[in-house]
Order: sequence, then C-alpha cells, then structure tokens
Amino acid sequence: MTVKTKLRDIVGAENFSDDPKILEIYSTDFSLVPAGVPNYLVKPKTSQEVQKVIQLANKNRLPVVPTSSLVHFNGAAIPKQGGVVVDLTRMNRILEVDEFNRRVRMEAGVTWEKATKELAKKGYRLMMPLSPHAMRSVVIDHLEREVITNTVYDYGEPMQSMEVVWPTGEIFRTGSASVTGYPDSPSKGANPSGPGLDFYRLLQGAQGTMGIVTWANLKIEYLPTIDKVLFAPVGDLGYTIDFLHRILKVRIGQECLLLDNTDLAALAADSWPEDFEELRATLPPWTLILVISGMARRPEEKLKYEENILEEVIKNEFSEIQLDNNLPGFPGMGRKLLPLLRQPWPKKTTYWKQRYLGGCQSLFFITRPGMAPSFIDLMEEVAAQYGYPVDDIGAYVQPIEHNRACQVQFDIFYDPTSEVDVELVRSLYRDACGVLASEGALFTRPYGELADMVYENATGYATALKRVKKVFDPNNIMNPGTLCY
Amino acid sequence: MLKGKVSLDVTNLDNFEYDMSKCIKCKGCYWVDHIYMSGMDFSTRCPSATRYMFDSYGAYGKMRIGLAVLEGRMEYSDELLKTLYACTLCGACDVGCKRNLDLEIELSLEALRIKAVKDGKGPMPEHKKAAKKITEKHNRFGSPHQNRNKWLTKDIKVAKKADVLYFVGCSAAYANPEIARATAKILNAAGTPFMLMDDEWCCGNMLYSVGMIDEARKLAKRNLEAVRKTGAKTLLVSCAEGYRTWKVDYPKMLNISTDDLGFKVVHLTELVDELIKQEALKLTKPIDMRLTYHDSCSLSRLSEPWTPWKGERGKWGMVSPGLERRRGSNGVYQQPRDILKAIPGVELVEMVRMKENAFCCGAGRGTQEAFPDFAAWAAEQRLFEAKTVGAEAIVATCPWCKDNFARVVKQNGEDLKIYDISELILAAIEG
Amino acid sequence: MAISKETYKVLETIVGEEYISSDPVVCEGYRSGPGGYEAGLGYERVMTKIPGCVILPLTTEEVQKIVRACNRYKIPYVPYSTGWYGPRSHCHVDDELLIDLKRMDDFEIDEKHLYAVVGSGVIYSQLQEEAMKRGCYIIVGGGGSQCSAIANMLGDGWSPLSYRIGLPHRRILGTELILPDGELVKMGSLAVQDDPFWGDGFGPDLRGLLRGFTGLRGCMGIVTKMAIKLLPFQPERLKPTGISPHTALELPTNRVKWINFTMPSKEAMKDAMFEMARAEIGAGATKVPIFWRAIAKASCKEEYWDIWSKESEETISGFHLLRVLLVGFGSEEQLEYEERVLNDIITELGGEARRTRPTDESWFKNADSAGMWLMCGGYVSVDYVIETLEHALPHGENYAELKKKFTPPLMPDYGDPGWFQSFELGHQGYSEFLVYWDPDENTDGVDHFYLETSKENIRKRFYTSLLGPHQPLYLTGPAYGPNYHKWLLAVKDEFDPNFLSHPPVPLAHDVFVEKADWMRPMKDWKSPKLP
Repeated sequence: MTVKTKLRDIVGAENFSDDPKILEIYSTDFSLVPAGVPNYLVKPKTSQEVQKVIQLANKNRLPVVPTSSLVHFNGAAIPKQGGVVVDLTRMNRILEVDEFNRRVRMEAGVTWEKATKELAKKGYRLMMPLSPHAMRSVVIDHLEREVITNTVYDYGEPMQSMEVVWPTGEIFRTGSASVTGYPDSPSKGANPSGPGLDFYRLLQGAQGTMGIVTWANLKIEYLPTIDKVLFAPVGDLGYTIDFLHRILKVRIGQECLLLDNTDLAALAADSWPEDFEELRATLPPWTLILVISGMARRPEEKLKYEENILEEVIKNEFSEIQLDNNLPGFPGMGRKLLPLLRQPWPKKTTYWKQRYLGGCQSLFFITRPGMAPSFIDLMEEVAAQYGYPVDDIGAYVQPIEHNRACQVQFDIFYDPTSEVDVELVRSLYRDACGVLASEGALFTRPYGELADMVYENATGYATALKRVKKVFDPNNIMNPGTLCY
Repeated sequence: MLKGKVSLDVTNLDNFEYDMSKCIKCKGCYWVDHIYMSGMDFSTRCPSATRYMFDSYGAYGKMRIGLAVLEGRMEYSDELLKTLYACTLCGACDVGCKRNLDLEIELSLEALRIKAVKDGKGPMPEHKKAAKKITEKHNRFGSPHQNRNKWLTKDIKVAKKADVLYFVGCSAAYANPEIARATAKILNAAGTPFMLMDDEWCCGNMLYSVGMIDEARKLAKRNLEAVRKTGAKTLLVSCAEGYRTWKVDYPKMLNISTDDLGFKVVHLTELVDELIKQEALKLTKPIDMRLTYHDSCSLSRLSEPWTPWKGERGKWGMVSPGLERRRGSNGVYQQPRDILKAIPGVELVEMVRMKENAFCCGAGRGTQEAFPDFAAWAAEQRLFEAKTVGAEAIVATCPWCKDNFARVVKQNGEDLKIYDISELILAAIEG
Repeated sequence: MAISKETYKVLETIVGEEYISSDPVVCEGYRSGPGGYEAGLGYERVMTKIPGCVILPLTTEEVQKIVRACNRYKIPYVPYSTGWYGPRSHCHVDDELLIDLKRMDDFEIDEKHLYAVVGSGVIYSQLQEEAMKRGCYIIVGGGGSQCSAIANMLGDGWSPLSYRIGLPHRRILGTELILPDGELVKMGSLAVQDDPFWGDGFGPDLRGLLRGFTGLRGCMGIVTKMAIKLLPFQPERLKPTGISPHTALELPTNRVKWINFTMPSKEAMKDAMFEMARAEIGAGATKVPIFWRAIAKASCKEEYWDIWSKESEETISGFHLLRVLLVGFGSEEQLEYEERVLNDIITELGGEARRTRPTDESWFKNADSAGMWLMCGGYVSVDYVIETLEHALPHGENYAELKKKFTPPLMPDYGDPGWFQSFELGHQGYSEFLVYWDPDENTDGVDHFYLETSKENIRKRFYTSLLGPHQPLYLTGPAYGPNYHKWLLAVKDEFDPNFLSHPPVPLAHDVFVEKADWMRPMKDWKSPKLP
C-alpha cells in the first residue's frame, strides 16, 4: 500500500486530496513567505486519525504541516519541504463550556466566529487579540501567543491544558487534563502546568513543529454588564504611555490600546475608500481607547470609582490627557469599536487589514512601552529610505499586563497583485526587523525568514531548542524548515 | 533524650537531643524576623552565619553538628571548635526560632560548649589564658586586683550600707572607668545611695560562656554569697554581659530561679528610666546629636529571668509540667530608648535591625578573646548600619559593645562617636 | 568515588579557598534531617547523605565552571539555595558536591516595568519588602518568607494571594539556566539582550524545562538568575509591629483588609468564592483550617494540644471559616465598593463577618510558616493541587477518608478535609493537605500514606502535586499524560547524559521504594532496573 492509500484509509477518501488545484490553496497564505506545495492533504475528524497520520508520516519520514484554519498571515502553515498538510478545520467542536470554572474546551478547528457567538449566548467572552479574522482558529491564536487587548487580569494568559499528538504519534494531555480518562474525571483541565515538565510551554509559539494540538482548554470571562468606551486623542505618545503606566497599574479598564490614524481608520471606516481616506486624514495621529466596565454586581458603582480614579489622576498628574466618552469630531466611535473589541471581524466584510490595498504585512514585537515612540520613529526612517509612504503603514501599541511591556505592531499595507510592491515590502519588512531588533525589539514569534535573523542572535537558545526538538521529533517531521529546525 | 525525663540543665547535652533533632532549617535563627525584614540590606541577625557562610556556622548547622557530637558521630577538631566558639551566643537564633517553635537553641549551644570543655577539648586556648587571669587576678585583664576600685574619684559618694549595690564589673573597673564613674555620679545625682562590694571579683561571664561551668559555678557561689552578705536588695549593673550573667546564668548554674537570688538584678537603664518617670531624675542639659541605639544582646533578648525546669517529654514532644519559655519578648528594649528620647536635643534614629533583631556587636561571650577578627568584622557591620541611618553616634549599654565599636572606629579612622548610655545620661544631668 | 585532591583543587581555583570545604564538620552542617520538611521520614533516612564537599559560588560563570568540572570528573552534584525544602533538596549519593548558592544574592528592581531580578540566594521576605517599598507586591509561597524566591518559583509559588495573581509560571521572566551538562541557556529576553524583562521564548518557550507543575528538585540544571514579575499593589505602608513572637504587619485598613466570615456550610464557602470571582472582587480568598487558628492562639505546643484536644469531628465538620483579602489597589473607594459587594454575597449565602484583626502575620510576609512544626515536630504538605474548586472539594473529602486509615501515626485531625482556596478569580481552585506526625515514633505509616495518596489520586483521577520526583515516577508516569515520565526521562537524558545533576532524582522515590523494606510490599507497578 502506498502512503497515499494509507492516508486515504485513515481519513476517508472525501477527506484526502492530492489534487494540485486543492494543494495549491495550502501552498500560500496572506504573508510574503514564498509558496511551498504539499504532497498531500488530509482532513481528520478525530485525534486518533491525527495520530495515525503522524505515525504513518514518521515511518515514511514524511513532513507534516498542521493547519487549523485556512486563514494565515504569517506563513507558518506553508509547507517548506512538501509532505502532508493536516487540515484540522473538521475538528471544530466546542466540547464543553464549563460555567462554574469559566472554561471552554474546544477543538483546534473552532473559529473565533463560532466560539464568540456560542459563548456570548451564555454571557461569556474570550480574551481576544485585536479584531481577529472570524475564520481563524482560537486555539492556534492563543498557542501562538497573540497579544490580547485586555490588560486587567493579573493572571495573564488564557491557555490551560490541551491535548497534543506528539511527532512520534502518541496522544498526550498536558496539565491537569493528563489524568487518566479525562474529561471523565474530577479534574477539569484548568491547570496548564505539568505533568513533570511544562509541556504547554514547549508547544506555545512552536508553529506546529512540536506536535499537533487537537483541543485546548481556555479561560473565558464574563461579558461585562455595562461598558463605557473612553477615548483620548494623543499628541505626545510618550506622555500617554506614562499615563498608562499610572492607570493600568491600578487595574482600571478592560480593553486598553493605542491605535494610529491609519489603523484606526482601517478598522472604523464604513465606506471605502472615501470614509477611510477621510478618517485617516482627520483622526488624531494616535488615539487611546480605554474601555471601563461594570461587572456582575453593583456595576454602576464600579464604573463610578474607576471614573473617579481617572479624574483624580488626570487632574493631579496628567492634565494634558483629554479622556472622554467621545472622540471629538468622531461621534459614535465608541459604539462602533466596542463590538470590534469583543467579537472577531465580521465574516461578511473584507478583513480590516485587507480592506485598504488588499495586502498587509504585520511586523510586531515586544518592547518596554517607553521605547515605543522611538521604535515608531525608527520605522518611519526605514520606510522613508524605501520611499514607502508612512501613511500606508498603520501602527498599534498594545499594553501588556499593567503596561509592564507592550507589543508594537506595524501594519504595512500593500497591493499583493503588484510584484514590485511585494518585493518592496518584503525588503522593507526584512530590513526594518533587522534595524528594530538591533535596537532591542524582541521578535518572540519569529515567522518566515525572520527566524534566521532571530536565532542568529540567540544561538544558545536555538541550540537548546534543537536539543529539545530532537527528543520529541527525532525524525524532524513536524513542519521542517520552520523556526530554527 | 527524645522522650522521657528531661530538664533545662545545660551540663547534660542529652537534655537537648529533642531540640537539636527538631531544627527544621527554616533559618529563622539567621534572618531578621520576616515581618521586620527591611529588604536586601541588613537582612540577617546571626553574625557567625553571615560571616562564615557555610551552614555549619548557623544554628541550623550547629544543631545537626551538636546531634552528631551527642551521638558520638563527630570527632573534635579545630573546625569543630571554631564552629562552636566563633559565635557570640547572642541569642538571635534562640529568639528567631522561638517566634514559631519551642526549641531551646541557646541552651543547646551552651550545653555543647560545656560538653566540649568536659571532654577536654574546649575551650579555645585564648579562653584558657583569660580564665587563668580571672582565677589569679579576679579580672579578665589580668590587671592587679588591688586596682579594681581605682576608677573611683573623690567626688563620688559611696555609702557604707545601702539597698543598692553597684556591681561595677571588670570592664568598667579597668578598661572603661568612664562608665563606672558616670553610673556612680548618676546615682549620686538621683539621690540613690549605693554601696560597692568590699572585694569585687569578676562575675565569670566569660567562664560560663565558653563552657567552663565548674569554674564559673565556683565563682558564682562565691559572688552570690558575698552579695547576700551585704544585705543588698538590688544589684545594679552597667554592663549588659554582667546583667545577663547575674540574672540568668547564676540561677541557671545554681539550679535556682532568678527570684531566688534574694535581690533584684537591675541594669542602670531600668533604674534611670524609672527615676525619670517618677521625676526623681531630670535630664535637662541638651545634647544636640543624631544618634542611634544599639540593643546589647544580654540586656535585650537574653535578659528574661531564669526558672529551672525539669519534667517529662511525651507524645508529640509535649512537656509536662508546662514550661513558659524565654522568647526574648520582655527584654529591656524600651527603657533605654525612653531615656534617650528624654534628653533634650537628641534625635534618636533607629537602625534597621533593632530590638530582638539587633545584630550583635561581636565581642561577647568569648568571641573577642578567641576570634578578634570576627569580633571586629561584626562591629564593622553594625557601625556601617549606624552610618546608613545618618547617625553621628552609636549608644550601647555595655562596655563590651562600646569597646569593640571604639576599637574598630579607631582602626578604620572613622568619625562615628561611640558612647555608653551612662555617659549621655550624666551629660544630660550635669551638662 | 570520593572527590580527589586534584578535583578539589580544580574546584577551589574556581571559587577561592574560603568558599569550598570538605571538612566533616562543615559537611555535617548540611545534613538533611532529622528535622525539617518531610524530614524524619523514611525517604530522608534512606535516601539522603551528607555532602562530600560543599562549594559556594558567587556568579553564573562560577556555577557553570563547577558544573563543567563535575561533568569532566564525574562528580554528582546538587544545587542548594536554602535547604528548606527538606530531603529532596539534599545530597542523595556518597561524595556528592553540594553547590550552596547563598552567595548569589544579586538584586535589581524595576517597579515601572514590574519585575525584580534575583539570584538564588535572595529570599522572599527580602523581595517582598523591596517590592512593597515601591508600591508592588508578590506572592510569598506557602513555604514561607525564608524560601529562596527562585527555588520556590521553580516548585511552588502560590498562596491565598493567587486568587488574583495566579500561577507562578507566568511570573518567571528572563532566566538563566545552567543545564546539567554545563551549557548555559538564557531564556526570554535574556536570550538576545541583557534586559530580562520578558519571559516568553523565541518560538517555543524553554521555560518548559524549568518546573512542570511542582518542580524538578534541581535534577534538570541550576537556575542562577531569574527576573520575577511583580504585581502592582497600593501605596500605603504595611507597618511591622510587635515583639517576637507576636510580630505582625499592621494593615492600612482603608486600603488593605482581611475579613473572616463564618459560613453555614462548605458549599456556601465554595459559592462565596464563586460569587466573588464572578464579581471580580478581592485579592485573596481561602478557607481557614481550624487547627491553624489553634496554632495562632497557642503560646506553646502544650497549649495548642490543650485547645486542639477539645475539638471533634462534629466541631470540625461544622466549622467553616472563609477569609477574604480586600485591597483598594486604586483607591479607598475601590475597597469600599468591593466590601459592599462582598457583604452582599455573604449575606445572600447566610454568612456572617467576624471580628478580624487588622494585621497580617502570614500571607504578605508569611512569617508564620515555620509554625507548622509546632504541633508535632513533623510536617509535610502531602498533596497540594491547583485545579478547580470542583476538584478541590471532593479531593479533600476523599483525602480525609484515606487519612483516617493512617491515623495514627498521623496527628488526629478529626476528619478535616484540608484547605482550599480560589485561584485566578475562580478559574482555578486549590486544595492542600498538611499532615503531621511525631517523628520520634514509628513513621512507616506516614511513608505508606504518602505512597497510598499517590495511588488514590491515580485511582480517582485527581490531578496531583505528587508528580515528577515527588513519588515513584514509574507509578505516576503511565497514569498521567499518559507516560509523561518517558518524556521527562528523555529530556533528562538529553541534557544530563552523565546523570550527575542530583542523582538519582527524578527516580529517587522509585529507588526509595526498592531500598526500604517496609516500602517494597507496596510496589505494584512495573519499572526497569533503577540507577
């Protein structure tokens, strides 16, 4: 029996393909990572099917490239050395909503759209990055450490335990889901750590190189009872960041983020291109968005004390901050933005990053918040060297955990149908990453060719990673050619 | 003895087998009480462990070593003797442990030294030399015994008979006459008649402290009889080491309680504090100084009265009859501070490690004699701490502390002033 | 083989002669027992040894050189920060080198970016005080203020304050780890720059090698430096008051307040925790075990027993005390708001506030933890599990039943089903079982109980702290994952091919069961030949 036959047997003929037209869909994504064609496609329904695929791949030294959705922006799921793409979109069940412990267990193929809708019905929400694509995988976005817009929860990351099929073909549960017979157990899977090693850490940021995660437990939070979206036009970004150092430490607010005019226009524009152009031209250079909320009990009182704190701080320490319910000149902005912060981008509308020119290369990194303005200046310098209009680069600063750090993100908009533009953006992106990294920007999620740059500067780390990889994936079948593998 | 008959008799190390075997290595004996922990600086209160670093130098190590000695698993060596004797027996470990537990750390350490001497291995050669001086000249300096009262000046009135007997002590008599004089003049100024002993001998602090209990007991008996003969109701001291020796170690050696001595043992600061509060003494002359107070160990955490105890230890380690342990809570902490605050012009600033958390000056209980470098090192630590709080002067209640601080200040050419509290009290009376 | 003169010389050259010793007196000072955490039990008696040599390095570089020398000369070694964890932190084989890290007490703090960088010799009370001076705070793990912050962050790291702050794993930022073979791995932002403020790796996160759930006891290398995340606190001072033994932090009750509530039932306590989490109020929420109150009241062991002997199954089962911490992080008004909400919840559930001292003896500085030994002289937390409240409560009840079978030698606790708390605003729950015994009596029963706990957790499908090196690996391994032990041993093998880092951990408990006569009959699982 050939590999092809065996694969077909495992998942069923209707869930297998080696048709070049089908395979081509998996050979590219919305990133600038060069195309790579797989040899096969399988769409398993169960962990056992995934397991059998991996066992077969191991026997035959066949690369395995997992993908949980068909929407990718970073190139991680593009096969670099052929092999079989394992498409997990059929594994799209929400397995449990555990209301007492505020936990949801879902398969890797569950989308933001599905998850958000189901949870909202019961009064819950997921912590989200900024307006994710409706059809992206929730589990994978968290596994890949997408930075969330909510800064208020001290305990941080939402991931708990998960199930993984190791590259050697064993099905394994991490954390407290590792008990025999889970979920038929008193253990609910709420503890991500252990057993023995913190396997979940080895799987995070791994871009599918350490195994295939089939389901995960995630924390869910209550939908607030009342919300107020506050805005402040930002003149001096550094000053505003200092303000955030002050107020985020006292745990005010739910979502808190800074958007430049381009990115905010891309999110908020109704009609294209007129509305976008006008917004981009008239919005302040930067806008602070802060959502304060009342929760289950005495919600108005909570809002009141938070507003009082804000008032005092602004009056006594940050008098230049003009925080208000409205963004002056832009009525209804709060009403527009709040759903964007609580739900994925509407499926029916072109994704906000693609509305402007069709393509968008996001460049993101972690840094200390006070350094954000200098990185923004640096990016503008690099763009200028390439003659790239600064207005075509959106910028977003996401405070993290009481503003102890932040993610800075540049959205480089471009026309993907223009080869010239594509090459220009590719070079600009590469050079900008190099310049920013040399000034201390941390590219902790090194996608595509960024990985080479990152690991060249982190050789000790890369060596240790390879040693760990060798243990779990001795035949290097999982997404080879990715990261430092 | 883990279960069965047990007592607080330090001449038998077996009495402390339970205590030594139950040390949990929490290092409450080493760290400042965590409630009072002030951060990265000045965070320890055991000079030995801080200086020598190996666990063997902290009580957590010494308890394990002590158990090995008791069980015959440990041979005597230079290192063992250094472990036992490079230690001021300052009581920080005892008080630190007793914050949470019922273990007798200090007594275990004393018992270990007594055993070392009984086994013919201790004390250190320097202690033996000093012991010889005490035996021959009745003072630890080996100075002529007949000069013991040379500190007296004509202007000091000494009564033939009084309720208060001022026990001067070797240090004040020979090395720090300013303390003796100041004390005597304070008593005069307060209208408190006092007498001196006809023939004052060393209290035996060092002898007891290094484990020479037979010699110490002999001296204690002699001294006790001599004091009782005077009919004194109060034995006044101006030396913290002497205070502890009389109040705690004498009863301990003689298997009586402090109350059974027949007189009260009182430190100058206790008396002066009372006199000030009764308005029998007024401190009116200003001393414009920013100073800090050093809690001498033997006046503070080691100073609670002694009651002998014997009984049984049973299940769960419980003892019967009940035993009220000496945890350092009732030391003389506040009185010296109140005195200093009563002096006009004094700005009293506290060091980080104060009261039961104080860091020993390094001199006491045999350390100065056998490990002078260690004593100097400990003093340096404490003086640095004083300077950190901006103190111009450091005040102690013990000539051992004063001497050790003064020696280091001179050696290092520093400008921090060192006082005994008696000097400041006198200055505030006389000007 | 004993550490040879030549090897000793090599090691001495690294640290200087003052900081190394193989003197028997010095080494005896590093004996594990007989007192201590988990001490006096079979594991400690059978598995621990005094070191053959003790060395005190100062820097990461020195530690690396030492580990490399150990690999060259095949010297087994164990890293040791304070030795507080008990036998599992001490030497297990003859002629082992004990690497005492207490000199590594470097400290830096960045309150704006909410982290402190510490060496292995820094303890929690130091860190907490430096944090509080700057308007921040940390969790001082249950082991107490005397724990090395790094060591506790690698194996424990929770307290009632985890209700808000959450798991320690996320508070480990840039870290330096010397692997067992002597390679240095810098994690987080330290991998590329001198700044340790960020913890996530580049791609996969190698912090996964550091701890598992409850730590690897130093068998996977030595952490020499760690940046620990701080959390923002409130500005008023918690003032230390009192004289030993009655010292406590006086709380500024307009901003920080503990409140005790008697609740009508255990269910009501659980519901209160649930409602608090739903309302997103509070900074700590825990059940108070009644014998802790007896310890707090007692001035000595005898008084404790006097108080405790008056309790019974009835009084225990009827005692439900919930202790809640409120912190006005942002303002007094915030604390007042939270107190109103809390009172709403308690009233709805039929609870009642009790007079509560405006002080903290325990959790901010956790100065009380050594008091756990007051009662009997022997103590261990047998199982301490972070899962959910729904796991915590049946875990407790199940455990209480099992404990009865082993009482005596365990201290009578009248069926107390342990301690539980809410973590991460209700996303998790915590249960812990503390057991006590007289170490001067036969303690075989305690050893049996420990292993039986592990088996019971497996039978009943509870998650457990008794993983990795804590209980026989070949017993727990197949039951969790499954076969987590296979990966743990494979990773161990990769990084410690000479098996020198704290041997025979993580198989030490397996070896103990084989070696101890009274344990061998309990072995009903398969294992290969052990080291």
